[in-house]
Amino acid sequence: MVERQSPLEPEFHPGSHGNFEHGVEIILSETRPGSILQLAAWPGEEKRLMSSIYKVAGLALPDGAGGGVADGVKAAFGFAPGKFTVVDEAEGLASAFAGVITPNIGTVTDLSHGRTAIRIAGPKAEWVLAKFFAIDFALPAFPVGAGRSTTHHDVFAQIQRTGADQFDIYVFRSFARSFWKALCHASEEVGYEVQ
Amino acid sequence: MSPRRTETGGRIDRLRTIRFTFDGTPYTGYAGDTLASALLANGVTLFGRSFKYHRPRGVLTAGVEEPNALVTVLRGEVREPNIAATMVEIYDGLVAVSQNRFPSLAWDVNAINQLGGKILSAGFYYKTFMGPVIGPLKGTRFWMFCEHFIRRAAGLGRAGTAADPERYERMNAFCDVLVVGSGPAGLMAAKAAADQGQRVILCELEPHFGGSANWSGETIDGTPAADWAARAVGQLEGHDNVRLLPRTTVWGYYDGNTLAALERVTDHKEAPARGEPRHRYWAIRTKSVVLATGSFERPLVFPGNDRPCVMLAHAAERYANEYGVLPGDRIALFTNNDSAYRSALALKKAGAAIVAIIDVRQDLSSEMRKLATDAEAEILSAHAVVATEGGKALTGLKVQRFDMVSGALTGDARSIHADCLLMSGGWSPTIHLASQAGARAEWDAARQAFLPPKPTQKWVGAGAFTGSFSTAEAIAEGRAAGLSAAGATGAPTILPVVEAAPGDPDPAPVFEIKAKGKSFVDFQHDVTAEDVRLAHREGFVSVEHLKRYTTLGMATDQGKSSNVPGLAIMAEALGKPIPEVGTTRFRPPYSAVSIGSLAAERFGDLKPERLTPMHDWHLANGATMYSAGLWYRPMIYGLAGETIEQAYVREAKATRDSAGIVDVSTLGKIAVQGPDAAELLDRVYTNMFSTLAVGKARYGLMLREDGLAFDDGTTWRLGEQDFLMTTTTANAGKVMQHLEYFLDVIWPELKVTVTSVTDEWAGAAIGGPKARAILAACVKGTAVDNATLPFMGIVHGKIADVPVMICRLSFSGEMAFEVYSGAGYGAHVWEALIEAGKPFGLVTYGLEALGTMRIEKGHVTGAEIDGRTTARDLHLDWMLSKKKTFIGSAMMDREGLIAPDRLQLVGLVSLDNRPLNGGAHIVEELDEANPHGSIGHITACCYSPALGKHIALALVSGGKARHGTRAFVSDPLRNRFGPIEIVSNHFYDPDGSRMHG
Repeated sequence: MVERQSPLEPEFHPGSHGNFEHGVEIILSETRPGSILQLAAWPGEEKRLMSSIYKVAGLALPDGAGGGVADGVKAAFGFAPGKFTVVDEAEGLASAFAGVITPNIGTVTDLSHGRTAIRIAGPKAEWVLAKFFAIDFALPAFPVGAGRSTTHHDVFAQIQRTGADQFDIYVFRSFARSFWKALCHASEEVGYEVQ
Repeated sequence: MSPRRTETGGRIDRLRTIRFTFDGTPYTGYAGDTLASALLANGVTLFGRSFKYHRPRGVLTAGVEEPNALVTVLRGEVREPNIAATMVEIYDGLVAVSQNRFPSLAWDVNAINQLGGKILSAGFYYKTFMGPVIGPLKGTRFWMFCEHFIRRAAGLGRAGTAADPERYERMNAFCDVLVVGSGPAGLMAAKAAADQGQRVILCELEPHFGGSANWSGETIDGTPAADWAARAVGQLEGHDNVRLLPRTTVWGYYDGNTLAALERVTDHKEAPARGEPRHRYWAIRTKSVVLATGSFERPLVFPGNDRPCVMLAHAAERYANEYGVLPGDRIALFTNNDSAYRSALALKKAGAAIVAIIDVRQDLSSEMRKLATDAEAEILSAHAVVATEGGKALTGLKVQRFDMVSGALTGDARSIHADCLLMSGGWSPTIHLASQAGARAEWDAARQAFLPPKPTQKWVGAGAFTGSFSTAEAIAEGRAAGLSAAGATGAPTILPVVEAAPGDPDPAPVFEIKAKGKSFVDFQHDVTAEDVRLAHREGFVSVEHLKRYTTLGMATDQGKSSNVPGLAIMAEALGKPIPEVGTTRFRPPYSAVSIGSLAAERFGDLKPERLTPMHDWHLANGATMYSAGLWYRPMIYGLAGETIEQAYVREAKATRDSAGIVDVSTLGKIAVQGPDAAELLDRVYTNMFSTLAVGKARYGLMLREDGLAFDDGTTWRLGEQDFLMTTTTANAGKVMQHLEYFLDVIWPELKVTVTSVTDEWAGAAIGGPKARAILAACVKGTAVDNATLPFMGIVHGKIADVPVMICRLSFSGEMAFEVYSGAGYGAHVWEALIEAGKPFGLVTYGLEALGTMRIEKGHVTGAEIDGRTTARDLHLDWMLSKKKTFIGSAMMDREGLIAPDRLQLVGLVSLDNRPLNGGAHIVEELDEANPHGSIGHITACCYSPALGKHIALALVSGGKARHGTRAFVSDPLRNRFGPIEIVSNHFYDPDGSRMHG
C-alpha cells in the first residue's frame, strides 16, 4: 500500500532544538493514526452511539462534555454535543463503524486524511499549549482522556489529553505545517525534541 | 565610590558591579539597582526635560508612577522611548538616553519655552490654531505650518523606526485566586488562599516580591520586614498550586474576571536566552481576585515643586533602604501627614542630615515630635514651602507661616539651605483595577482619598488599597481577603506581629500652597494649578472635560500622582466638595503595554499558511505561488524568460489543444450526511437535489435570505444519504457557517450532519481534448468512457494503487474531470497523472490560466457573485426551481431585484486590442477629461488565447439587451480609455459541445 505523506515533512526535523539550559522539556511528534473518524449522534441517540463506540473500539466513554478515553492504540472523546472523535492506529475503522452506526443513530465521517495528529509531551507541555489556547490545561480541569475543541487563530484544533503531561492535537491537514512551525517556535524557550 | 551611595545597607548586590551609559556617559551601579537609583547614586540630579516648558526635571518617585524621569532605552537599532528610569533594571551594557531636549539635556534650547508664560497655558492648541482666518493665516493652514516645529519642541520620547527583532508571547492562565500585589497584604492573601488548596497566581510588578516590606524598615515577627517577606515568598514557592510572576504588571480588569498582565521577561538581561520572549502578555481568567495594589504617595502643589531633587518622601526612604542611595545630604521634608516623619528618620539613619520638617498642621502628635527629634530635625509646624531655589539641582527653599484652614501665608519667608526636598501630600489607594472592573470610586473625607468602589465582579481588597495604610492592617486584611477569595472562613489565628513607626493615616486636607510661581499638578504634561483654574474660568465643569482640556492625567503615567490634587483644585474653584466633582474612571492599561506583547505570536504574515497536499510539488516544479485567502496556490508554472502573461497564455492554450491539470484541493468540501441530507440541499440550493441519482453530481446555486446570490458549486451524491458538497474556495467557511446556522437554529428537526472535509480530499482537475485518454491510461478498476462516466457522472477506481473518485465536470469549457484522492495520497496521485499525461502533452496550469479559461467559458466566480448580484443578473435564473421554496426564494422577486436596468453579466471584447482592467467602468460616451455616465464595470479580464483578443466579463446595466452594441472602457485611474464591444459572456464553446464531448 502506498504510504500516506505527512504534511509536516519539510518542517519535520528529528532531533533536539531550542534552549537546553534546563534540558529538553518538550517532545513533539506526529502520531500518524490510520483512522480518524467523526461520529455524530442525532439528539437523544448519544448513548447508543457511545455504546457503538464501545462495541467497535472497546472504548468506554465517560458521560459529560468532553469526556474521553485513550488506551494507547485507540482513543475517543466528545468534542461537541453529540459528536465524537475516534482514533485508531489501524486503518479501516470507518468501515467497521459503518455497519454499526445506522442512519437512525447518526453518521460516520472519515477524516483520516483530513486531520493531522500532533503529540506534545513533557513537563512543559501545558506551558507551551497555554501560549496557543485559552483553555485550562491543569490536570484537575482537563483530566486524562478528556477532549476539547478550540482554535488558534484560524486553526481549528481538537485536543485530547492522553497522559499526565501528554496531549494529542488534531488540526486540519492544510494548516498542520503552519501550526507545527508555530508549535516548534513556541517550544524553543524550553528546549524540545522532535521524534 | 559614588557620591550618594551609602557605605552599607540596601538590597543591592555590592559584589556585582554593573556598567551602563546614560546620554553617552559611562556609569556604574550594582546588581539590583534601577537606572534611577544608580544615577542618583552617581550624583545625577537631572533626568529629563518637561513636556511643554522644557523645565529641568529630576526623579520624583521610585516606582511605576514616575512622571518625570522618562528615558529612551536603546538596544541595537531599536529604541524604546518613555520608559520610567525607576522601572529600568540596569544590566551590563545598558544604553539609556534622555529625551525631549536639544542639543543636550543640560543645555536645551527649548527651555526658552519657560518664558512663554501664559501663552502656553491650557488650551494652547485650540486657541492658537482654530481661530478665524486672518489674511493668509487660516487656522488649519497655520497649524500645518507650525506643526512640525511644535512636535519637535513638545513631547516625550521619539519612537524608533527599526523593526523590533525581539520575541513576544501570549500566555493563557487560569486560577482560583489571582493576587495582584505582593506587599504584606498580597503575600498573606496568597498564602491563605494557597493553604486552602486554591490555585493561586501572585503578580508583582517589581522585580522582587514584598512590596513595602522591602524598604519600610519595619520588623515583622521580630525580623526585618524584608526578610519576613522573603521567607513568605519561599513558602509560596514550595506550593505546587502557586504561580509567582515577578516583573508582571496586571494592567487590565475585564468582564468575567479576566485580567490582562504584562510580564517583562528579559528587559533586565543583556540578552534573552534562546527562544525567550522579551515580554509575555498574560490573559488570566480567575474565579476571584485579591487586589493588594497598595497606594501612591501624592505630591504637594506649590511653586517650584518640580525642581530636580524635589522628591516624594517615601521614594527617598526607598532609595535609602532598598538601594543604599541618599538623594541628598541636607534633606528637608514638607508634609501634610505623619508618614513623612518615618521617612525622615529612615534617611537620618542612612546618614543624611534632616534640616527641617515643614508641616502644614499646627498640632502635631507627641509621637511625631519624638520621631522628628530622633531624626534631629527642626519642626516647622503650620508652615509651608512657598518656593524652591536652584537650577538643575535644588540649592534651597523658602518657607512661610501657613494657615491650613484659610490657606493664607503670613510673615516673612525664611530660606533653608537644602539639597533635597521631600514632600508628602497624603496617599491615594491604587484603585485603578477596581475602577476598571466597573464601579465609581468613593471619596473618604478622613483619608482625603478615593477608596475602592463596591465590587461589581468577584474581587476583594486588602491593605493600603482599601485605605488601611499600616502593615499590621495589611497583614490582617490580606489573610482575610485570601480566605474570602478562596471561599473559606478560616480558624482564628495569631497574626504576625508588626513593629512600625506610629502614625495617623489621615492627612490634613491641604493640596496646594498658593504662592507666586508655577505650581505643578501634573508633572508629566506640565499642567499647573493655574491651568486647572483657567479651565474652570473658561467654563469647564465636568472633570472629564477638565482632563481633556488641560490634559491633566494623560500620557504614560495616567495621572497616578496628579489626579487627586487636580480634582481638589478644581473642586475648590467650583466651590464644591470633592465627591461632588467626582473622579475620572480609570481605563486599561494601568501602565504602558508594549505593542509587541499585544501582537504576541501574530508576527510576520500574521495568518497561518494553508497548503494543499501538492504544495511542495508545485514549489519543486517551478510554480510561482500566491495567496488566495489563507491558501497558497500556483499562479503560473513559468518557463525561463516567460512573463506571467506568456506563461498563462501558454498553459491555457496547451490545455485547450491537448490537456492541462490544475490543483483544485482548495475547493470547499462539505460532507452532508443523514436521512434528511437531500431535504437540506433542496432548501439551501435554488435547484433540486433530492432527485439527483447516486453516483451523479449537479451544479447548484445558493442564495442569501435576501435573495441575492451567495455561492455556487457542484454537489455529488455518493450515497442515498451521503452528499459531497463543493463550494468556492473563498466561501467555504461562510457556506459551512450558513449550513450550521440553519441546522442548529432554523431547522433543528432535520437529521443532517455537515462536516468540513476540504482537507480530507486532494483534488486535481484534468481537462482538455486528451484528458479522457490520460485518465484511461492510468485509472484502474473503472472505465472512463462516455457511457461509464458521462457528464456529471462519478466513478471510483485506482490510480497508482490509490483509491480515487472521479467526477466529470468542467469549468473551462473543455471535457474535464476532477480526480479526488485521500489528501495523504494527493501528491502521489498527482505525480501519477503527470506521468500518464506526458505522452499526451499534459501541462500543469495555475490560477491565471484557470481564470482565463473560465472567463472564456463565461463562468461566474466570486468576482461576479459579489453580494450585489442576483441569479437573474448572472443568467442563472434557469436554476431557480419553481417546484419548491428555498433560502432566498421569498425575497428574490422583489421589485428592485428584477428591474430591467440592473447590472447584468455580459462579455466585453477590447476593440483597440489593448488589455482591459478589472474595476474599469463602462461608459456610453467617452469623456477622458470628465469621466461620467458609468453603465457598469469590469469584473474579470484576460488575454484570451482561444480568441486571440483581450476580453473581459462585466456587469452592465441592461445586460443581454446590449449584446452587439459598442461602448467604451473608462479607467481614469490607470489612464485607460478605449472602445469595446458588448457580447455574450459565453465566449468559448457556447453550445457546450467540447465540454460534453
